[in-house]
Amino acid sequence: MTKDIIQLTDLRKRFGESEIIRGVDLGVKRGERHALIGPNGAGKSTLFHLISGLYKPSSGDIRLNGDSIAGLAPHLITRRGLSRSFQITTIFPRLSVYENLRIAAMARHGRRYALFSLASKATVINRDTDELLELVRLTQARDKFAGDLTYSEQRALEIGMAIGPGADVILLDEPMAGMSREETHYMLNLIRDITQGKTLLVVEHDMEVVFSLCDRISVLVYGEVIASGTPEEIRSNGRVQEAYLGEVPA
Amino acid sequence: MMRIGLLASIVALLLGAPLVLSGHVVGVLTTALIAVLFAMAFNLLSGRAGMLSFGHAAYFAIGGFAVIHAMQAVEKGLLWLPTPLLPLVGGVAGLIGGLCAGYFATLRSGVYFSMVTLALAELLHAIAPNLGSIFGGEVGLTTMRMPWTSFDYGNEVHVYYTVVAWVVLCIGLLYAYNQTLFGRLTVGVREAERRVSFLGYNLHHTKIIVFGVSAMFSGIAGGLLAFTTESINYSILGMGMSASVVLHTFVGGSGVFFGPAVGAFVFALFGSLVSDMTKNWLLYQGILFVGIMMFMGDGLAMLWLRIVNEFKERNWSALKLRALLLPPGLLVAAGVVTLLELTSRILDQQYAAIVSRTKAWPPVSLYGFNWNPTALATWLVPILAIGAGAGLVFLAISRAGREAAPRAALAGEHAR
Amino acid sequence: MEFIVISALNGLVYGLLLFMVSAGLTLIFGMMGIVNFAHASFYMLGAYLSFTIARISNFWLALLIAPLIVMAAGMFIERFMLRRVHGFGHSQQLLLTFGIAFVFEELVKLFWGNFPVAYRPPPLLSGPAFSLFGTNFPSYRVFVAAVAIVLLGLLYLLLQKTRIGIIVRASVQRPGMVSALGHNVPLVFLGVFGVGAWMAGLAGAVGGALLTTSPTMSGEMSVIAFVVVVVGGLGSLLGAFIASLLIGLLTSFSVGFQVSLADVAQLFGYGEQARQIGGLLTLEISSMSASLPALLMLVVLLTRPAGLMGDRN
Repeated sequence: MTKDIIQLTDLRKRFGESEIIRGVDLGVKRGERHALIGPNGAGKSTLFHLISGLYKPSSGDIRLNGDSIAGLAPHLITRRGLSRSFQITTIFPRLSVYENLRIAAMARHGRRYALFSLASKATVINRDTDELLELVRLTQARDKFAGDLTYSEQRALEIGMAIGPGADVILLDEPMAGMSREETHYMLNLIRDITQGKTLLVVEHDMEVVFSLCDRISVLVYGEVIASGTPEEIRSNGRVQEAYLGEVPA
Repeated sequence: MMRIGLLASIVALLLGAPLVLSGHVVGVLTTALIAVLFAMAFNLLSGRAGMLSFGHAAYFAIGGFAVIHAMQAVEKGLLWLPTPLLPLVGGVAGLIGGLCAGYFATLRSGVYFSMVTLALAELLHAIAPNLGSIFGGEVGLTTMRMPWTSFDYGNEVHVYYTVVAWVVLCIGLLYAYNQTLFGRLTVGVREAERRVSFLGYNLHHTKIIVFGVSAMFSGIAGGLLAFTTESINYSILGMGMSASVVLHTFVGGSGVFFGPAVGAFVFALFGSLVSDMTKNWLLYQGILFVGIMMFMGDGLAMLWLRIVNEFKERNWSALKLRALLLPPGLLVAAGVVTLLELTSRILDQQYAAIVSRTKAWPPVSLYGFNWNPTALATWLVPILAIGAGAGLVFLAISRAGREAAPRAALAGEHAR
Repeated sequence: MEFIVISALNGLVYGLLLFMVSAGLTLIFGMMGIVNFAHASFYMLGAYLSFTIARISNFWLALLIAPLIVMAAGMFIERFMLRRVHGFGHSQQLLLTFGIAFVFEELVKLFWGNFPVAYRPPPLLSGPAFSLFGTNFPSYRVFVAAVAIVLLGLLYLLLQKTRIGIIVRASVQRPGMVSALGHNVPLVFLGVFGVGAWMAGLAGAVGGALLTTSPTMSGEMSVIAFVVVVVGGLGSLLGAFIASLLIGLLTSFSVGFQVSLADVAQLFGYGEQARQIGGLLTLEISSMSASLPALLMLVVLLTRPAGLMGDRN
């Protein structure tokens, strides 16, 4: 178990009367691409919010690299090497694509209060920014306002913002939502490329994407993980088919 | 390059102004420049970082009081500080005040932030008159500038050059701030706070620093005012000062670096120009502000940039529409001003006394004409002007149809 | 004892008056997400209009007509001004209402002058209502409290028992859902804005004669009403009610307290030292009463950021 880079133990989250996450145990191994699937309202986004620090857990523990991060503020979790994308694109719309990524790259170098460094003179950061641009394939759109990009370009930038701080663990919240077939295909390749050597935890509804991208899949139903395993195991798991996969044509 | 040339000529004009202008006008210019710096400091927080403060007078005033105290100390020989460096004290005081107040205000975002800034300023405003030793009670504090080398600070011109130097320096620093890595992050705070904190930045600390820097420059501006007038009173902490900086900034345009400067300069200059002619100047400022918020959104500086851009792109249809809109727009403005000026003259206390004494309504004078308040035409003329002007504006816009450019010309690109 | 009872009654009256203003502000904030800076201007407008109408005709007619005019002004602002900038973000709306408040203040100065006007209760209500411990309690205060309580009852019935009330409450909770259910949300907004303005106008009409009617009354009320909204919690009417009474009581009690921090230090034997330091330490609570609401707001923000009744702490 110590090899798990993310480890959730009996994690619970209550909102008033209702318990949305009801004792989740989950391990994600270093370097694996792990998908979290489940029907709408199963608590996938809530679980993401708990891991990334947006919500504080009601009880239970979250460990990153063996250290507890439960209840830490988001920026502290990011600094420990876990960052995320959002379902609702969260970029800086009235800044250029380049400026967006530069702010992400600054974080990687810990230049958080660089009041006396001119942006144009920050060569290392600017080089990293160019690399990020290349990585998310937005070099052409470098000087466009982020808010003027097409939807799929914005989603690519969103992923760039998630990997920008240089985290080892990346959480992607529905990266393919609202995309056409070609865009999905393009994004799938992009995610594969840029998460090389990193650990990926992804929430996604598109089963084709999940099965072709991920090494392991966990199924969340009503706030509990009912199954966890390789794509083959999940595909043949009776409970999963009953609870969830039944909706999807095989 | 053109921009640098423009800036250089503005600075040259400012430096040369005292050679040709009277002492009174130089004094007006001095206060206008202070308003410019205050608006630009305010805009760092409210425009760049998107944190709308309704209590920025507090930091302006803190700087002012600090400088007055420093000047008193210098006068008594308790402190050694060259006279031109006195506004620095205001900056330090503004920074400290801003960091403390910013700690509380930035605990919340959005409209809550705005309300907290307002409450903090009111807190200070309500306590100040009771703290005589610091704020000088109801009368305020006065002091004298000490001479420094060949500057004896006995006339406006010496003060003016000191103010110009400080304002130019501070605007330069504000510009440099925007070019730093932290300056870029500041805009990120405005655009998407959540992303900033999920990138690993401590959002609260980031905001406190921005608040502090903005308050520091506001404090320098306040210090310059105290330095100029050699006196200060707690009333400077009131809502009026906070409101005027909001008006200046957003009329000028918060999205352009020099926008707030344009707004502050124009208003301060116009203010001293027309304050002898009308007592409704603040009302006109308010109406202009509301109009800009409703129809343009992003202020005069952005309008200017758009017109320049249209010239460059040879977008004649957009320019033609603007030209068409100008006369009816002026007609509406003239109608509104006439109506309000007539009203204000009739409601004047002296006039009311005459009416109650003589039981008659004597004609009032406006623009060199006598207007009979009991005649229908007196009121019909401005009302018709407003109606006709508004009608023509409406007509011109609907004629232009739904073409993208003219629409944007009026509505402004609010999303930007 | 006398001090406590009289202060409590005064505080209650002031708190109820405060609630008449802040209820509308809270409802509008909860539903539309707009912090309406011009809301306290409605209060001021109500006071000035009823002052003028009362002078021309009589107080009771003024109480009826002035709030209706204010309501019309409020609906005009919502329909033709705020709705125009709807969708340009909250800060644009905030700035617009700020500008409107500014214009209102200047208009009041233009029409009524830059000084307080002598707006007094009608003769019928100028006498004492009852006397306690030898102190007469003015009947006008009782009247103000009665108006506020009747209004509170009406508001409660409207929100709890009518279909419109259910829609309004639902749209405070889930603004998006209500339009999805096919209700005419713009019309509901217009109505709520109008009712809110009407209540503030009525509060001004009765409150102007109790407190002072001057061009600064809107600025002062603005700050206190914002404090109520923050202390009470986002869009919570119950929170606004509790916070209004709390601030009313706090203000009226503090006025009578001639205690300073130095006096507290005296208890521990450090009175002299504290008095020598002076400044804040010798400031009596009574002279700080104007700043207490803002102070309370800071304390609440630090301890319960979402307010007393806010559910997002």
